[in-house]
Formats: sequence, structure tokens, C-alpha cells
Amino acid sequence: MKPPLHIATPWPRSPEAPAVLSIERLSKRFETNGAGSVSVLRDISFTARRGEMICILGRSGCGKSTLLNILAGFIAPSSGTVRLNGQPVSRPGPDRCVVFQDDALFPWLTVRENIAFGLKKRPMDRARKKSEVERFLSLVGLTDFGDYFPHEISGGMKQRVSIARVLILQPEVLLMDEPFAALDAQTREEMQNLLLTLWEKFKHTILFVTHDVGEAVLMADRILLFEKDPGGIREDIKIDLPRPREKDERRFFACYRKTMSIINRL
Amino acid sequence: MTETASPKRLNRGRRSQAGWLNRLLPWAIPGAFILIWFVISETEMVPHYLLPHPKDILATAATYIFGKAGNGAYAGRFLEDLMASSFRVMLGFSLAVVVGIPLGVLSGRLALVSRMLNTTINALRAVPGISWLPLAMVWFGIGLKTTVFLVALAAFFPIFLNAEAGARQVSPILLQAGAMMGVRRLRGTFAILLPAAMPSIITGLRLGMGISWAYLVLGELTGVPNGLGAVIMDARMLGRIDIIVVGIILIALIGRFCDLGLNQLLRLSFKSARRLQ
Repeated sequence: MKPPLHIATPWPRSPEAPAVLSIERLSKRFETNGAGSVSVLRDISFTARRGEMICILGRSGCGKSTLLNILAGFIAPSSGTVRLNGQPVSRPGPDRCVVFQDDALFPWLTVRENIAFGLKKRPMDRARKKSEVERFLSLVGLTDFGDYFPHEISGGMKQRVSIARVLILQPEVLLMDEPFAALDAQTREEMQNLLLTLWEKFKHTILFVTHDVGEAVLMADRILLFEKDPGGIREDIKIDLPRPREKDERRFFACYRKTMSIINRL
Repeated sequence: MTETASPKRLNRGRRSQAGWLNRLLPWAIPGAFILIWFVISETEMVPHYLLPHPKDILATAATYIFGKAGNGAYAGRFLEDLMASSFRVMLGFSLAVVVGIPLGVLSGRLALVSRMLNTTINALRAVPGISWLPLAMVWFGIGLKTTVFLVALAAFFPIFLNAEAGARQVSPILLQAGAMMGVRRLRGTFAILLPAAMPSIITGLRLGMGISWAYLVLGELTGVPNGLGAVIMDARMLGRIDIIVVGIILIALIGRFCDLGLNQLLRLSFKSARRLQ
């Protein structure tokens, strides 16, 4: 792979931060009925440092969701390894939590119960669990909606619940699979700001899959540009814009244009 | 851990109490039916030996249910018949549940189990329940065992098939979400899979309960001494058409009552049954 392209100047996250997630020569082939196999991901390697926000950008069908599913442990790679803090991972676990694009809340539980779900078997006393649930309810701005059921709230609110129920588990890495793609533009912007605020607060390592270039430039420390046939990283772009970023700033727009030109050159 | 929701909000899923019309509506058809029956009887469009007058039916029912035993052919037998029939239905239905739900859920989730079971079950399902009756009589004799066998067999299919469909349709994303939150397979089955499949499972149980009563009567027609089906068969041989009609009405009422009771019991026992309907 080529060395990372640099856009603008210094990088806000320390380059010396320890590597949290290392992906080494990951490949995935899917068997097709009788007709051999399709290569979805080929030879992917990269490292995510602690507290880094990495956007995985690419058009649909380029294997970015497959990559996320492998990192989450939902499917096994055909070859290569995923390491979290040096330990190979093979199955799903609360150290790598996923925010899905589709509604993945439990419809028979209230918002509050959905957020409390992952805490159930944790060694923590009841009062502490309760206060944690309330804290995360308020962090995502849903204090007044704790007793609602998922079918009674809007798409944006559902994604807030999805974020709260995984943040409460204090995951090492947050994997987000186009979490805001199904929302309207205004709500999407709200959610992007909410996620950035929470990220500032908790300093999670975040892998954020998106097909929206503007979203990637707004959120990312680094953009991994995916291309298809077979899926792989074509460019590793560092976005050094200072935060908070504003979409109507000249610097933002310049950065967006440069990223676009890299994409179009491929 | 957080059942702290205000009662007002948790009740929101319920049908609104839209006054007298909603309460009356379920009785409109039975009411009209009885009215027509009354008119037919009063005007003697149909002779009484074919269709007795409602007031005679009422009298027969009163004797059958409340009469003192020994004061007439069927006086005061109801309680004993009800107990006998209910016991048979419950036994057969429980057997069907105990086998049908686990097998159905397994078959819905595991391709291997589904491949193994599907041909057999769909072949057996095509056999009308009544064809089992002669065989059951040879195997189990006349009485409890034959009836329970028929009820269990008949209730098994809707319970199994609906549990299977319900388990199969649970979105994999829900199970993935559970897995990433640290829920292992066994707990996931009870905390995610079964609640998510609950609406289908309930449908299966209700269909199974309904068919249980149908096959109970079939099993009891064969000459057992007590039970609602036995009473109906007995009355046919004695030409007591009023008792037949009373039996039919009672079975209809009991069936409806069982359905409501089953629904209520499930709602009491499972959060998902309360909330996903």
C-alpha cells in the first residue's frame, strides 16, 4: 500500500498513541453456489490507534460492511488476523460494539431497558446500574423517553438508543455501520454532532463506515478509501482539519474538494 | 432490572376503552343468532324435535349445570364432565407444547434439524386426525389415553409450525446485537430469540388450544363414560337433541374462555407477550 496522503497540516491525535486494533492481511472470499467464490476483501492491513476516528469510505458493494462484520466477530475472515490490544479476536464481544444501520433495538423492551440490556450480567450493584442507565439516557438526550418503546420513537432517537446501549458497556472500539445513512439531513447533522461530542468525552476508538464524503471529512482523523473488485484500501487519507469543524468553512470545503479529487482520480 | 415505567405508559399498547359500542360488538352476532332462532321456534318454521326452543335449551342447560345429580337423565353432570374434559385437553395440550415449542424453535434455527424433521412432519400433517382414531383405539383402548393422544397429536402441528416460523423469522441483527453485548447462545435463546419469536409462538398456542377442543370431542365420541363429547354422543343415541345443542354451546363458551385465559396467562408470564401484540 502507498504511504498515507497528507492533506493540510498537523495531526490532532498523537501519532504515538498505542495501537488498539491491528488488522493484518485480512481477506474474505464468499463461496457462491457451485460457481467458485467471490473475493470481497483482499489483503487489508491497517492499524487504529487509541482514540482515533477512522472513516471507511466507499461505494456500496466494496466490502466495507463485510470488514466491519469481521472486526465485530460476526463472520470469520478467509485469511489474516484481527488483533485487539495484541490479542487475536474471533468472536463477538462487548469490547468491540457495533451500531447498526438498521434498527437493531429489542422491540419488547423500553428505551431504558434496551440501554440496560448489556449491563444485566455485569458484576455491579443495582443502584449503580440504574444510575448508569440514567446517565447514558441523558448523555444521548433521551431522559424523557426512557419508558417509550422503540416503535414509538423516531429513527434518530432509535440511533441515540443504539449508541447509548453500547457506550454504557465501555467498549474499546466502536464499530459503526452507516449509522446515520437512513436519517434525514437535519437529523443526520444532529447525530454527527452528538457522536463527536460523545467521542470528545469518552475518547473511544471509532471505525465509522460511510458512503458520504462530507460526513467522512467532518468526522474523520483518517479516511480509508475503499474500492471494489476486490474490496481493499486504495488510499489512507489523513484529515488534519482542526476541530470543531464547520461544514461552511473554507478549510472544510478545500479539504472536501481534495478528498473528492483523490476519489475521482482512482 | 428497570420495571420502573409509569403504569400509564405501559398500558398504552392496550385497546382504548371506546365505550359501549366496543363492548357490545362481540355479542352482536350471537345476539342476532339467538333472535333468529327464537323467531324460528316461536313461529314453528322448524319443528321442535329438530331444533328445540331456546327456552327449552335454557331449561335443559340449567338442569345439566345446576340440577341435583339423580334428578333426571343428565342433571348435575356438568361439573364432572367439565373436569374430565378439561383434564384431557390440558394433558394433551401440554404434551404438544412441551414437544412442539422446543422442536419448532430448534428446527427454525438449525438447518440440520429442519432438514431432518420437515419431510416427516409435513407428511404426517397431511393425515387427517380422524384417521388416527381407529389406530389409537386399538393401541390405547377407549378412554383417557386415546383422547389425550388425539389432542396432543392435533395440537402439535400448529404449535410446532408457528414456533418454527417465528424462530426462523427473528432478524439475525437482533442476535448479533445480543452477541456483541456479551450474550452467549443459551442466554440469547431465552433473552432474545424466544421474546422475538413470541407473537408467532402465541399464534401457534392459540390455534393449538382451539384444535385441542375439537379433537377432545372426537376422542370422547368413542364411548368414554364422561366428558362433554361423551354427553353429546350419548344424547344422540337417546334422541335428546336439546342436550346436544347445550353441549355444543358449552364447548363454544369453554373454547372461547380457554383462548382468553391462555392469552391472559401468557401476557402475565412474558414481557414480550404483553408488549408485542
